[in-house]
Amino acid sequence: MSKTKKTRSDERETGISRRSFIKGAGAAGSMAIAVTAVPAASAASWGGQTMKDAFGDFFQDHYKNMTPTELEQALARIERNAKRTTGVDIKCENTPPIPGVVFGYAINISKCKGYRDCVYACVEENNLGRDSQMQYIRVLEMEQGNRNLEKSDHYYDPETVPQKDKYYMPVQCMQCENPPCVKACPVEATWKEPDGIVVIDYNWCIGCRMCMGACPYWARHFNWTEPELPTEVVNPVTHYLGNRPRMRGVTEKCHFCVQRTRKGRLPACAEACPNGARIFGNLLDPQSEIRYVLENKDVFRLKEELGTEPKMWYFSD
Amino acid sequence: MVKSRVLLILTLFTYLPHGFAQAEPDVTEPVALVNPAGAEYSIVPRKPELTYYPCTQCHKFMTPNPEVRDLSSPHPSTLDHGNERIWCLTCHKIDNRDFLTNLLGADIDFDNAPDLCASCHMQRHNDWMSGGHGKRVADWQGERVIYSCPQCHDPHSPAIKPRAPKPVPPIRKGLERGLHVKEAHLKVWERLEKRDHE
Repeated sequence: MSKTKKTRSDERETGISRRSFIKGAGAAGSMAIAVTAVPAASAASWGGQTMKDAFGDFFQDHYKNMTPTELEQALARIERNAKRTTGVDIKCENTPPIPGVVFGYAINISKCKGYRDCVYACVEENNLGRDSQMQYIRVLEMEQGNRNLEKSDHYYDPETVPQKDKYYMPVQCMQCENPPCVKACPVEATWKEPDGIVVIDYNWCIGCRMCMGACPYWARHFNWTEPELPTEVVNPVTHYLGNRPRMRGVTEKCHFCVQRTRKGRLPACAEACPNGARIFGNLLDPQSEIRYVLENKDVFRLKEELGTEPKMWYFSD
Repeated sequence: MVKSRVLLILTLFTYLPHGFAQAEPDVTEPVALVNPAGAEYSIVPRKPELTYYPCTQCHKFMTPNPEVRDLSSPHPSTLDHGNERIWCLTCHKIDNRDFLTNLLGADIDFDNAPDLCASCHMQRHNDWMSGGHGKRVADWQGERVIYSCPQCHDPHSPAIKPRAPKPVPPIRKGLERGLHVKEAHLKVWERLEKRDHE
């Protein structure tokens, strides 16, 4: 027997097995942590929150499993946390989907001139981290005469747009009817709501980024850093599944401005477009604008062959 | 029978004076219309935005001159519309400058300008009425209020002018190119060739 290798006979001599040692050390360690941490229950030791909020956050259930009371407490907690981090009294709502409404979006690519007004309206509306420089909408500059996404450029920067022989195609989350990101999520932190919007419970997201890999439209974005939100730019009207302040390590994406559209308003990008290239509405309403476009224009969808059934159509006229 | 006749006369009395009293329309109220799909819509009024309206302020002192000519200020001096096939009095009514007119000579209110535009751009007008062209003001739900054609297209130069785009999307923090590869702008084979030379 070598000296480095412990044997059962050694164990018998000392009376301590490896397992029992670890058990003992663990118990002693947790005791030590408890003893030092509990008396110092100041805000700093709970990540800036109160102990109650920190525990509430940690034990918060999935959005769909929360009781109305729990949800109310969660919303209040979000509001308190936003006040602490940004200094703004935000209102975090939980507006339910409107019955009989499924949202659809159409973009007229002959009207889009590539101004990027939609991109910045979205950043402001949705409380996107200014420091992390995330943007939900990417306006692709395409070569006239083809639809080759490989040759598209979203870093175009000419003096004026539109450029000759180019056309512009904004791409964002398509709110697929058959969303591959939802299937990829191992913890069901993302799902399709009855009004067709694919949403994320940021608290439930574990940040594994499987959804980002599954999305064929590059529509999901990851918070690599803590999103910084200066006080003067915070949009105080927020939704639990939408534009409430996010945390580091979670995925986010366009949600058709759920905080606006569920109250009958247009998404921020549609409102910002000066050319009226963006047409938004209820797919189930035969008199809606989106239905007129789908019934009367030659529409196409991106990567239709993948069977994701996106609810964003493109057309030109 | 007698009762119904009395009712009929009463209703006539209540409606008739009202009908005559509507000569002066309220300029701030959107005009309510119905599109082919049966959906109601209204147009954002245009008159409050017109600097010189009512035009008869000046034109009532002038005799109409139907001769085709270039105009001076305050009128636009050039007309970048219709490829020289039209001029001012094609759209502006000669004997009442507070109204526009179409090729049939009808009076068209400035708030109803799309009716005039439709006399040439009918397909666009159809799209605009139903939502395939133009822009809705605020909400996707509820009352549909849309912008009038001249809100976006200056009738004297209707093409949308090129404009500077908003800033280029930044490369996200930590994902800058060339952070790990110093010569990221080179193609792989160019990097390899360069390394071979060194």
